[in-house]
Amino acid sequence: MRHCFAVLLLLALVAPMASAQEAYPSRPISLVAPFPPGGVADLTARPVAAAMEKVLKNPVGVVNKTGAAGAVGMQYVAASKPDGYTLLLALSSISIIPEADKIFDRPPAFTVDQFAPIALISADPTILVVPADKPWKTAKEFIEDARKRPGQISFSSSGIYGTLHMAMELLSHAAGIKLRHIPTPGAGPALTAILGGHVDALASGPAVVLPHIKSGKLRALAGWGDKRVAALPDVPTFKELGYPDAEFYIWAGVFAPKGTPEPILAKLRETLRTAVAEPDFKAAMDKLETPIAFKQGEEFQKFFDADGKRLAAGVRKVGKVEDKK
Amino acid sequence: MVETLGNLAAGFSVALSPPILFYAFVGCVIGTLVGVLPGVGPLAGISLLLPATFGLDATRAIVMLAGIYYGAMYGGSTTSILMRIPGEAASVMTCIDGYAMARKGRGGAALSIAAVGSYIAGTVSIVGLMLLAPPLAAFALRFGPPEYTALYVLGLLVLAYMSSGSMLKSLAMAALGLLLGMIGIDQMTGYFRYAYGVVELGDGLGVVPVAVGLFGIAEILATAGQPTPPTVIKPKLRELLPSRQEWREANWPIWRGTVLGFFIGILPGSAHIISSFVSYAVEKRVSRRPEEFGHGAVAGVAGPESANNSATSGAMVPMLALGVPSGPIPAVMLAAIMVHGVAPGPLLIQQQPALFWGFIASMYVGNVMLLILNLPLVGLFVNILRVPYPYLYPAILVFATLGVYAVNNSVVDVWIMLATGVLGWVLRKLDFETAPVVLGVVLAPLLELSLRQSLAMSDGRYGIFVQRPIAATLLAVGAALVLLNLYAVARRSVDWRAKMALAEKGEAP
Repeated sequence: MRHCFAVLLLLALVAPMASAQEAYPSRPISLVAPFPPGGVADLTARPVAAAMEKVLKNPVGVVNKTGAAGAVGMQYVAASKPDGYTLLLALSSISIIPEADKIFDRPPAFTVDQFAPIALISADPTILVVPADKPWKTAKEFIEDARKRPGQISFSSSGIYGTLHMAMELLSHAAGIKLRHIPTPGAGPALTAILGGHVDALASGPAVVLPHIKSGKLRALAGWGDKRVAALPDVPTFKELGYPDAEFYIWAGVFAPKGTPEPILAKLRETLRTAVAEPDFKAAMDKLETPIAFKQGEEFQKFFDADGKRLAAGVRKVGKVEDKK
Repeated sequence: MVETLGNLAAGFSVALSPPILFYAFVGCVIGTLVGVLPGVGPLAGISLLLPATFGLDATRAIVMLAGIYYGAMYGGSTTSILMRIPGEAASVMTCIDGYAMARKGRGGAALSIAAVGSYIAGTVSIVGLMLLAPPLAAFALRFGPPEYTALYVLGLLVLAYMSSGSMLKSLAMAALGLLLGMIGIDQMTGYFRYAYGVVELGDGLGVVPVAVGLFGIAEILATAGQPTPPTVIKPKLRELLPSRQEWREANWPIWRGTVLGFFIGILPGSAHIISSFVSYAVEKRVSRRPEEFGHGAVAGVAGPESANNSATSGAMVPMLALGVPSGPIPAVMLAAIMVHGVAPGPLLIQQQPALFWGFIASMYVGNVMLLILNLPLVGLFVNILRVPYPYLYPAILVFATLGVYAVNNSVVDVWIMLATGVLGWVLRKLDFETAPVVLGVVLAPLLELSLRQSLAMSDGRYGIFVQRPIAATLLAVGAALVLLNLYAVARRSVDWRAKMALAEKGEAP
């Protein structure tokens, strides 16, 4: 009997060692989407997982681990074993949440350096839209009017410190204007608020507002991107208008927990590069009207750092709501 | 009108084609199951099935997902009536009178009334969806934060009439619910409130774990605590048919619930849940025998069950006509059609007539399927009650735990369910009603956010609530309710509620 235990114990010790020597991947990988099904993170994660599965010839499943504006899922991945079997599909909010935690002096749910960036999948600039019956025909008119009436022009957002809020704050800071913020629980309600005429402006991803621009309900004034949005060639960027600091993207990228061995990271980078070139993946992203913006390694790290810095500065400028009074 | 009929005919040719028929059927069956299982609601069901629809085309995907949504409203009543456990959150109100009917031996009748009410509400509200989608959607958009604030305040005033017995106790429970609803991230400032470092509490207490805990777990604890186990109710099949008297009592509540549910459904939020609360309150208010509520009133089952079904059609109005989801469930459904390259928005009906009209027609077909599915199966479900308690209750505990966990893959939700279960048990022992707690949890975040959004819009001026016509009208109705009640109190000291409490005291040993 005692022998039996000894053998079992030995097996228990040896088993993980044996699996560590196995080629990666040898069991299913989970790609955690920290938002509910149907959102941008989920809709990007699903084709990414499908394309990775094809390239790796190994199951890749999407797990929706939702809550607290994504913090729950991100914290979960940050704390998982860095073995390449738990990956994260994150949006810009990964840089915002730790910064917001700092402002409130609370222990951060996670920090940015708990993650190893693997690859950027897509990056979509936000665009500024106003109801078509409002007087502003150009971004210049909008900004001038806002300067004359500080705090009078309102905008809706996907929530305080949310992506749509941060885009507007970066613009406010760059243009030296003050707008009135009406937070809503998500991108959908933020859109409803402007369609109903309850707010005056909204920063939004292009795909969501495009049908309303086409139907003549909303007017696009300018974009936060480096370049103009392909579907809206007449809409200038804030950069062109002389506000280079108003640069903002809703992006999606894949991360692994920090400490994942380099050979595994290299394999994943390689996999994702092949995966985004798959015709099925391209078709899926076309349907979402989201352009693929693949970046990996150095290049992604640089983008991630620059974006994180912009957002952190933005969050600090917003500060605690009470502090502004 | 002629055009509508032509479109509808074209829609039926889509809906009756074998593949669409098949996916509608699959959706309805899954929906019924999702509704029956406590904890697992339509949102969880649709979310879990969303990936499976990526291989279908847009019309099939949305037909199947919609089937799950309204199918769940049919199924949700079953466990509420038979075991006082809401199969899904919209059936909370059905627990009260449905279960009371079951204890009187009218469980089968209650199930049939719920199914028929759901069918009438489902079918009639699709007519509404079909004819009124574009104008109504435009109207719903005019509801901004001030209008919602007024609406929720009105809702809370109506709530004051919901309870039997002590009004003080029921208001205290509503306040408890509102307080519990304060947990989570403050949406205006980003502060964490009462989260004690638990990140999962950032989103607040979910309605599902709270409802399953307060009703389901509390019921099981209460039953287990009885010195002699209750004799198992063994309904007979012939009791399935409601009596003529019961039909008569169900008739108007079904129609009122249908209309009410549809209009509430158009408004954003968890409309199917709120509609059932409002319908129950209305039925109790207009009833000639309000004292029957809580003791097996037919109207208390017929109204809410019709309302929650009708609300699902209402929720499709802004989704299809504007591309704006009115709640989390339509949001997932929108995502499902977007994956297939269909752009939601005001142009959807014109650009995708086959999808829109096929979808409408499939809902007519789906409701017929559900009625056929549910009426004979009611007999099957009734059998659940024949299982002895020592087997039945642990099994329910397992299902409830699994279901609550599955919604968010969250262990914290399971703890919330257990904690509210114990809380519910204590409250029951102290003779408090728990339904107002659930309503408080649902309403608190909505009321708070819309109130503060309104004040942000007006720069802190409360005048915004009377300057806007819709908001002012709603508040005036609320004020009238309060005045009417004060008048009644002044006129006679003993109203029906007090009479009822007295009657209850007389009954009690």
